[in-house]
Amino acid sequence: MIAIAWVNLVRLFRARANIFFVIVFPMVLIMVLGLSFGSGFVPKLGVAGGAGARAGELVAALERTGRMEVVRVGDDAEARELVERGRLAAALIVPEGYEGAMSGRSRVALPLLSRNEPSSLQLGAAVRSVVQQVAMPARAAAYAGDGSFDQRLARAQAVQVPGVTVSYATIGARAGSGSRTDDGFVAAASTQLLLFTFLTSLTGATALIETRRYGVSRRMYATPMPGGRILLGEAAGRVAVALAQGLIIMLGSALIFGVRWGDPLGAAALLLAFSLVGGGAGMLLGAAMRTEQQALSLGLLLGLGLGAIGGAMVPLDLLPATMRQVAHLTPHAWAMDGFAELLGRNGTIATILPQLGVLAGYAAALFALGTWRLRAALTR
Amino acid sequence: MGSPIWVLLGTDPAHQTAIVSTDEILKCRNLRKTFGDLVAVDDVSFTITAGETYGLLGPNGAGKTTTISMIAGILARDGGDVSVCDRPHGTSSAWGKRRIGYVPQDLALYPDLSARENLRFFARLYALGRAEARTRIEEVLEVVGLTDRAKDPVKDYSGGMKRRLNIGVGLLHRPPLLILDEPTAGVDPQSRNAILESVAALTGEGVAVLYTTHYMEEAERLCDRIGIIDLGRIRAEGARRELVALVGELDRITLTADGTRPVPELEALPEVREVGVQEGRLDVMVADARSALPRVLAAATEAGLVVRAVEVHEPNLESVFLHLTGKALRD
Ligand SMILES: Nc1ncnc2c1ncn2[C@@H]1O[C@H](COP(=O)(O)OP(=O)(O)OP(=O)(O)O)[C@@H](O)[C@H]1O
Ligand SMILES: [Mg+2]
Repeated sequence: MIAIAWVNLVRLFRARANIFFVIVFPMVLIMVLGLSFGSGFVPKLGVAGGAGARAGELVAALERTGRMEVVRVGDDAEARELVERGRLAAALIVPEGYEGAMSGRSRVALPLLSRNEPSSLQLGAAVRSVVQQVAMPARAAAYAGDGSFDQRLARAQAVQVPGVTVSYATIGARAGSGSRTDDGFVAAASTQLLLFTFLTSLTGATALIETRRYGVSRRMYATPMPGGRILLGEAAGRVAVALAQGLIIMLGSALIFGVRWGDPLGAAALLLAFSLVGGGAGMLLGAAMRTEQQALSLGLLLGLGLGAIGGAMVPLDLLPATMRQVAHLTPHAWAMDGFAELLGRNGTIATILPQLGVLAGYAAALFALGTWRLRAALTR
Repeated sequence: MGSPIWVLLGTDPAHQTAIVSTDEILKCRNLRKTFGDLVAVDDVSFTITAGETYGLLGPNGAGKTTTISMIAGILARDGGDVSVCDRPHGTSSAWGKRRIGYVPQDLALYPDLSARENLRFFARLYALGRAEARTRIEEVLEVVGLTDRAKDPVKDYSGGMKRRLNIGVGLLHRPPLLILDEPTAGVDPQSRNAILESVAALTGEGVAVLYTTHYMEEAERLCDRIGIIDLGRIRAEGARRELVALVGELDRITLTADGTRPVPELEALPEVREVGVQEGRLDVMVADARSALPRVLAAATEAGLVVRAVEVHEPNLESVFLHLTGKALRD
């Protein structure tokens, strides 16, 4: 049985074209998509008011993060309008009293107008951390030491208090380098993983037809291996091919692009569940089709079509509700939900149990059908 | 029943339990298979003993492959019995399948894998132990003459090399019964010779061989006994000479001589059944030309004939087939 599964894997990588389509091509796509997802996403922050030196320092600090494009706008009415129209991701209002409050001991609040979008909200978090970063030494300078405020501030800024400094830096680093590259790659890698795992499973189904056409499966039945084990071996071969494709993308993207796949157990379970679905679909396709051409064209059609519907090409969040419901007829959408949970919300294997369950159901149904069809096809 | 023989199945301890058997390796009784209305195999019975080569000779569509598929346990039969080494055999009997080497009519190999990889794959399906598989694979490669090319993908092989590897897979597990379904189809004369010779060598080691072909010459050269099959039925069975005698075909000795005339001395010989006289030649019909030839020549010379040339024509299976079925073996 393992021999049959193994020979399927060996044959997958024996074809040079497959090495390209299974290894190189998905990695290149992840790189291209990862970079483009990232670069489209430099949010604009409007800053209204604040003509003084302290405000200037704040703007400079915001720009230093490299995470946002800072745009000066006239007043808060204009800022509000630009945010509402989507020209700005968010706007920070620097009030009249900012300069005085910074050098004195009074309180001041800086209103932040933000769009209700993940990127804007993330930007808000970054802005908040920068504001605090700038405010902390100012607060310290206002309360401690002698000399003018400017002198005290300069001293406070120069103070190296390890704990405090590190904590600022941590906030800054996380907010600053997070989204531009990694998020793009995470999205690209998870969608391409689903797309390619399923696609390779389906196009790989031609191997099952070849095995029959070569007469090898008939010959297998002449060996002492029982028929049930032969079917099981072919099924395991299909899953092994799907799993190999999924692992290549998962490990490859982790190594090359530093994509983190969240809870390892959860990610492994999700990959396995989806590979079972892909393997089952491949088995059914390979058993039901008579020629490699049929299987290949239908496999491409289904692999790309279901991928597109299921959110492996266009993010489901961008689709209307009805389309999202339709999408959940595909295993891809369920797996996407699983990855969103694992990657976006720090989910674990426990929190993706519903998705795993649905995928297991798909797999069971496909394998039942596939085994039934293949038994008929092999003993014909 | 002959004396029991020992058949050693490899060196793997699991297989080393040498089986005691009568020398009846394969026995088929009243095999039958239908496909819808078509009766592909109809009441086929025969027996093969150790060291014997049994040929199924028949035209396209005669039912050879169908018969073999039932024996190999690939195809369920609709009627009859098969026993292998005295045990009942069928599609689900692993015991019997371990004792059969099956070489299908069409190549059954992965073309993208090498010879060694193909052999390794089937060795695992035949459950050979790792060490045994390794030695057997090298031995088989040697036997089929592919050691030098063992690493190349099978798709780069010539037709004859593929055929040889196809046979090699059937030899891996040292089966006491080897089933070859038209192993020489589409093979160059050189490879064909090599194949026929290695089959002969195997029977010398006590392997029983079931061989199908529609090449009469092969059946004549290789097979101890031949079953002539047509439309799913075995029409006649026996050694070549028996078959020929069965249909009453006679050998013909043609003498070319000056001044032919009736020769009573020839007709008087007990071996001679009939003498036909034509311009410049005499056709002497005998049961066995080889044994009769010296006496026929002597009698002709005694009668004063000047014999210029002698030609012996032995009726072959082709004519037997024609006689039995009213059609030629190959269209
Ligand atoms: N799976 C099948 N379904 C229907 N008919 C079949 C099937 N297999 C064989 N037949 C028919 O059974 C008959 C015997 O076929 P078989 O393949 O046994 O002949 P054969 O003697 O091996 O011929 P050849 O020399 O061409 O290999 C043919 O008429 C064939 O068409
Ligand atoms: Mg045939």
